[in-house]
Formats: sequence, structure tokens, C-alpha cells
Amino acid sequence: MWKVLGGVVLGLLLCVGLAYSMMSRLMFTETQSPFGMEETVARIQHNIQKTGNGWELSGLRNPAKAVQKDGGNVLPVMMIEACSTKYSKPILKEDTVRFLSILMPCKVSVYKKDDGKIYIGTMNAGLMGKMFGPLVGDVMSQVAEDQKKFLLFDPSTPAPPMILPAAAGPATGGGGGGGGC
Amino acid sequence: MRNPFLGALLALTLVLAPPAGASTDAEAASAARATAKSTADHAAFKVLQQPFKSGPEVTRACLTCHTEAAKQVHKSKHWTWEFLNPETQQRLGKKHVINNFCTAVPSNYEFCTACHVGYGWKDEKFDFTSQENVDCLVCHDTTGTYRKVPGLAGHPPYKDMEFPPKSGRIAKAPDLGKVARAVGKSSRDTCGACHFLGGGGDAVKHGDLDTSLKKPGKYLDVHMAKDGLNFTCGTCHMTSGHDVPGSRYGVTVAKSDAARMHMRGRAEGNPATCESCHGDKPHKARQADRLNSHATKLACQTCHIPEFARAQPTKMKWDWSTAGKMDEKGKPFKLKDSSGHESYDSRKGDFSYESNVIPTYVWFNGEVQYTLRETKLDPSKVVEINRFEGSPDDGKSKVWPIKRFVGKQPYDIGNNQLVVFHTYGQDDSALWSNFNWDKAIEYGMREIGAEYSGKFAFVSTEMSWPITHMVAPKADALACRQCHAAPGRLDNVPGLYIPGRHGNALMDLAGWSLAGLTLLGVLGHGAGRIFASRKAKAREGEGK
Repeated sequence: MWKVLGGVVLGLLLCVGLAYSMMSRLMFTETQSPFGMEETVARIQHNIQKTGNGWELSGLRNPAKAVQKDGGNVLPVMMIEACSTKYSKPILKEDTVRFLSILMPCKVSVYKKDDGKIYIGTMNAGLMGKMFGPLVGDVMSQVAEDQKKFLLFDPSTPAPPMILPAAAGPATGGGGGGGGC
Repeated sequence: MRNPFLGALLALTLVLAPPAGASTDAEAASAARATAKSTADHAAFKVLQQPFKSGPEVTRACLTCHTEAAKQVHKSKHWTWEFLNPETQQRLGKKHVINNFCTAVPSNYEFCTACHVGYGWKDEKFDFTSQENVDCLVCHDTTGTYRKVPGLAGHPPYKDMEFPPKSGRIAKAPDLGKVARAVGKSSRDTCGACHFLGGGGDAVKHGDLDTSLKKPGKYLDVHMAKDGLNFTCGTCHMTSGHDVPGSRYGVTVAKSDAARMHMRGRAEGNPATCESCHGDKPHKARQADRLNSHATKLACQTCHIPEFARAQPTKMKWDWSTAGKMDEKGKPFKLKDSSGHESYDSRKGDFSYESNVIPTYVWFNGEVQYTLRETKLDPSKVVEINRFEGSPDDGKSKVWPIKRFVGKQPYDIGNNQLVVFHTYGQDDSALWSNFNWDKAIEYGMREIGAEYSGKFAFVSTEMSWPITHMVAPKADALACRQCHAAPGRLDNVPGLYIPGRHGNALMDLAGWSLAGLTLLGVLGHGAGRIFASRKAKAREGEGK
């Protein structure tokens, strides 16, 4: 009896340990971009605008600029913010899940790493949605589908211009105003 | 006006304000005095109190007091654009080298010599012995109004002119008298007028020199930061007799051990080095010994300039082979990249820019071999315009960060040599006017008296630039893990053993085997103890 119980507990502990170690990789995705920093940002921005479903750009943040102002250096990071009221409205309407507004607007992060390459970081909206019941799960699975379209690149098309937030100037530490949520 | 006080104040201000343009000789001179702490007020010199019509007129006035200045300038690389490398015996300098940016000065003198410290260098007949041809103002202007424009053979515009042509932008003619009466020490602005704009634009060439260094934040350059040490260029490039130390052409191995480490500058010590202030054991704080031991193999710049072009992007690629395309109307055109920088120009071809560039790292012992125009090249390989010599075991090399600039440029397929071509001019042969490579190359090669087979193609080239400016705050120096891990910054540098990155399969096997055997031993011993203890207990039970 004790042997069986011990085995179950050990198995559970192993599962929890495994899930814990894999959580970060499951919740977030990282892919390498074939383009430079600004071009990656610009292509994602234009993809977002083309995706439909109410998606609008709501900001472009450059946290590296804030570090520079403080006298330090980090490799470039730019966060593209986008929102769609089609997806935000049902969640914001429901008291029990309104706290998920903390995840809004939807962000795609573009950054350089020490190998000199450019990477794109996104949240795994589909998996995360499943943790919060059927309403959020349904909405987030649609967001996840759209997110895939954000990252579909056509290298044969010329590099589009980066869309800078009107209020904050060229990708400053601030986000600037925008549409969407 | 609702507020009568404000109205009165405005009226008073208008009455007291000097008329526009009337100011300011005295103000400029006083500003220059304050900055330079000079013992002379140039505004008080009678010889300067006249309206000058040309640059050489100003120089003649300067020479009445500074009798030796022009002779000193004549010996400098800023004047000769020439340098005979004593190590390699190669004749270098702008006059001789072909690079992979705008490529070559010959046949383009009028354009390129906007950055010459002289007046009138429009062809090979330029008089290098003329003292009045020395341009004093280009380095000593403190007004910020003296600007030389490409196409005028080193002269400033003497009348307002549209520049670039058809751009709608006006290059103002400087008031030469005003500039002359306000001269002072050279500054970031005067040095930067050429060195920040090398290669045809801001930040294009060097990667660690651009206009952001005029007023840099601490993050960009701890030495030049206005709120930091506030160095000017001259603080390090400590000039004596108009000889400015620290040229990249002067990268000879120095005699003293301490000086040899930095590999830059002249044989008898060079103030424009890290070691000249920080010594060869620069680290004093935590783990000083360990860090100082790194300094025997790594240049200071390797760790302390972790990325270059941190304020604005630098050009990383220039492909001349695509120049000459026209739009649907048959007109030349330009394209921009996502960040708004030019990515194509019919006159110049394709470009790419990058910011926060991770440097390439190479062994460097101070010797640089150039592919000169005469050098025979192998077009099947990437041609190294300049090759940084060095190796892990020559005892005098260090690992240096460099900018590696790549491109494609024309070469003579009959002679397998790089070609000089004529880019700028009002004539029918200039590439930027007629987009005809044949004519441009023929003209350029004829100009230098070189043999040309009449056939050309494009060859891939790369050029290396040492990175030495834009020193980051010490907190942003490379961290251990950026090299002592795989992948690491120095992965492509041969001959380095870096713990944490490199391993020896046999050593690893031996180490892990020992660890495994130790674990087995411990487990076996533990199991034996448990087994023996149980057996003993069982025996005791039987005995009872």
C-alpha cells in the first residue's frame, strides 16, 4: 500500500517538476526573424493591419530607449501593441474574467540577442486561454489564429515603412496613442 | 494683449534686442574665448577686421601671426592624404586607397576634397606646397556656420547655393570675417564635420563615430558624455604642432610593452589609447587580477564597446552592382528601408543599415594589409580591402572588435585589379550623371594613368574598421557569460580556450566517468551499509 502511494506521490512530483520547467516554453514562443529589427517590426505591423477582425495597432514601445535615458545599454527591443475590440469586448464585459484586461493589448515583441540575430516573442494565447474557462478559451483560440497571420512574411514584397505612434514620436519609451482597445 | 505686464515686457524685449544679424561677432568671439580660454582675442586683431572674399585670403591673414602653422599642416595626413606604412611599405591614405564605400578619390577630387583641410584640390595638379591653400577655419571655426560643400574642391560656398542640387535645401555662404574673428580650438563639431559623416553621410562609415557624439548620453560614451567626463576629440587625440595622433593608418606596433598593447598610433607612444590613461592593469575593484589577466589578450574595446552604432544605424552593406536602375519614367530613383534610411539609390546601388551591431572579433597585431589598386585579386573569393593581421601565438596580438563592411564594386576582369571610377562631375563621364559604368571607369582609370582592359565585372569585397569609440558604462561591459558560454561572442576567434565554451571530449569523458564512479561508490557503499545493518538486526532478532 505504502509502496503504491509513494509511487503516485513521486510520479506527481515528477509531473509538477516537468510542467514547471516547461511552463515558460509553453506559455511563450520565440522565433527567429529573417529580417532586421526595423523591417521585422514594420512587416508585423502591416500584417496586423491586413489581418482584419478589428485588429488595430495601438502602440510601439521601445523599452531600450528608457534604459538609455537612464545611462545604460540593452540590446534593441520593440514591443508592437495591437488590439481588436471583437476579442476584447466579450472579455471586458464579463466580470469574472475582466482581470484578464491585464493581458491587453496583445503584444508582439521584437528583439536582438547576443548572437546578433533578431527574434520575435509572442504569448501562446491559445494555451493561456484554456486556463480561464470556455469563454476566454474560445476568444483566445481565435486570437492565436490571428497571431499566426501576424508572423506570416512574404520576403518577395519590399520592406514597408515602420508605423510610428503619432503621439510619442519615433518609438520612444512611451507607447503613444492608437486605435483598438 | 490681455496682460498689460506681458505686453510691456514684450515691447521692451523688442526694443532692446539687437537687429537680426548685427550681433554677433563680439558674442561669437567672446564665446570662443570662454571655451578655449585663449590668451588672444582674435576679434581684436586688425588683420582679421576686414571682409574676406575667399578662404585663402583668410589663411594669408592667419599666417601673419601663425607663421609655422601651414608648414606643420603640410606634414599632416589631414593635408597629404597619404601615409607610407613603415611595416608593409604600402602607400596608403585617401589619395591611394580604394575602399568599398565611395571607393576612390582620384577623378573625384572636387567632390571628395570637401573634407580636405585645404582649398582648391580639384585635380592632380593641386599645389601641396602652397601655404595659403591650407584651410584654417575648417578645424578652428567656433561659430558653427563654416561648412564646406562637396563639389567645390574644398572651398566653402561663397554665395548661398542649393545643395544637394535640386533638393530645395540651401547651403549658406559663411561670413568668413566673422568666422575668422571667432576662431578657437577644434571641437567635436569641427572634427565631426568630416569624421562623423565619412562615407557619404551621418554614421555611414565607422559605426563608432557619428553626430550623436556631439552631445552623447552616458550610455553612448562615458568619456564624451556631457554629463560625464565631457571629453572633446582632442582630449585623447592630443595634438601637437597640428599632428593629430591616433590615425587608423598609423597602426604600427609600438616599442614599449604598455603601448604595444593598443596597437594604434605611432611608435613612440600614442595618447589616443585606453592604456595611456588606464594603464595595462586597468581593473582595480573586485576580481581585478582575473580581469587584468584578460587584458593581456583582449583589447579594452572588446569588452567595453559591446555593440556599436548604439544611437543611430550605420551602413553595413553597399552593393554598387545594382546602381543604374531607372523608374518607369526612365528617371533615377531612391528607396527607403523600414526605418527611413536609403536602401537603394540609382546612383549608388543597394545599401543596408543596422543599429546596435554586435562587432566581429579578430586577432590584431597592429598590421593592416591593403588590397591596393595595383594588387592582383582573386575574383572567385571575397576580396579583403584591408586585412587585419594577427594570430593567437605571435605574442603581440589582441582580440579586437571590428566593423566588417561588405559590398560589391567593379574590377577589371582583364587585369584582375580594382578600378577607379569617376562618380561626380558635370561632364558626360560621371556615373552619377550618366549612369554609364564603361565611361565612368575609363575616365577614372585614364585619370590615374592606369591600364584598363576595357571590361569590368563586380567583385564581392569586405573592409574592416577598428571599433574604439562609444565606450559604454562599465556596468554594460561584456559579462562573463557572453563569452564563457556556447554560443559566445568569441566563437569565431581561433586559438582561444574559453572555459565554459570549449570542451575536450576525452577530458569530459574522463571527468564524467570519475564523477559517475564516485556516485556509484557512494551509492554502493551506502547500500552495503544498509544491507549490513539489516542483516545485523536480523541476526540479533534470531539470537533473541
